[in-house]
Amino acid sequence: MHFSTALKSPPARGAFLCGVGDTLLIIPSYLPFGLVCGVASVNAGLTTSASLALPAVVFGGSSQAVLLQFVQGNASLWIAVLSGCVINLRMAVYSAAMAAHVRHLGKPQRMLAAAFLVDNTFALIQARQASHPHDAHLMAYYAGSSMVCWFFWVLFCGVGVLAGNIVPGSWQLDFAIPLSFIAVAAPSIRTLPMAAAALGGGLASIVFFALPLKLGLIAACLAGLMAGLLAQKWTSRQES
Amino acid sequence: MSLTSFQSWGLVIGLAIGTFLIRYSFIGLFADRDMPAWLDRAFKLMVPAIFAAIVFSGVAMVSGEVAGPIYWPRYAAAMAALMAALWTRGHMLITLGVGMATLHGLPWLVR
Repeated sequence: MHFSTALKSPPARGAFLCGVGDTLLIIPSYLPFGLVCGVASVNAGLTTSASLALPAVVFGGSSQAVLLQFVQGNASLWIAVLSGCVINLRMAVYSAAMAAHVRHLGKPQRMLAAAFLVDNTFALIQARQASHPHDAHLMAYYAGSSMVCWFFWVLFCGVGVLAGNIVPGSWQLDFAIPLSFIAVAAPSIRTLPMAAAALGGGLASIVFFALPLKLGLIAACLAGLMAGLLAQKWTSRQES
Repeated sequence: MSLTSFQSWGLVIGLAIGTFLIRYSFIGLFADRDMPAWLDRAFKLMVPAIFAAIVFSGVAMVSGEVAGPIYWPRYAAAMAALMAALWTRGHMLITLGVGMATLHGLPWLVR
């Protein structure tokens, strides 16, 4: 169990449990996507054991889905792996933001923290940092969050592999995924450049949605960056 | 089509290693030293851009197409969730509750 030595003090345990609790709230929204990813790995022809291992060691839904889509389309397996990696390039941005948080940890724990870095765990730790600045137990919170997230992701995908898709689409459970990012992102936008980056990135994600390999997400990231930098230039000119 | 065990595990391990290297990239580079200020500033703008991209495409795209007027409950739900998030400073349960209740409740109310 990771960070276990750091979890002996009561405040650390409290932060850990907050991470567990906050994450449990968003877990149901990942049920439909997890099932879909599980079903897709069976359809793509992966062996059952590899299908069950995929969510456990990759832990990134969109990259799993894209990998499997390429395999099913008879693409070369190298291309499939490479495409999956392209989907996960956005995690480099999360990695950069995490660097300062893991400074006090040793290398093995840094690697462990990196292994669980995904959209929702990162979003939750960002929100936690905003609501509890200078919290010494931020990583205990992250540990709780990632354990819950990982466990249920593996479980949901596993159910998809073994039992197929069992949730009716009319529930629209997966709509809670964008909603959870509204909860995290909306209150964190405090400056005009950040708002411009969000608006630019959001609009670009729709305009570039049809790009292959979900490259629209990368395009949106860059478009948002441009919009934010322009707004920064504009606000600094206003001040001077 | 069915893959051999070797091919299946190759895919799984390949993607796992590639993804880990991306996840560890900047932690490995900058955990022990400060990032240059310009790079830090750039990353701080990319975070809201990516989050907004997840929100916008998650709300406005349905099976690869822009969701038209018949999908109005999705937009109403997103707006309601946005209000709730700003009002409660990002309370997860309230934001999700308001959003999902609007998505399912509003069409039922105005039916």
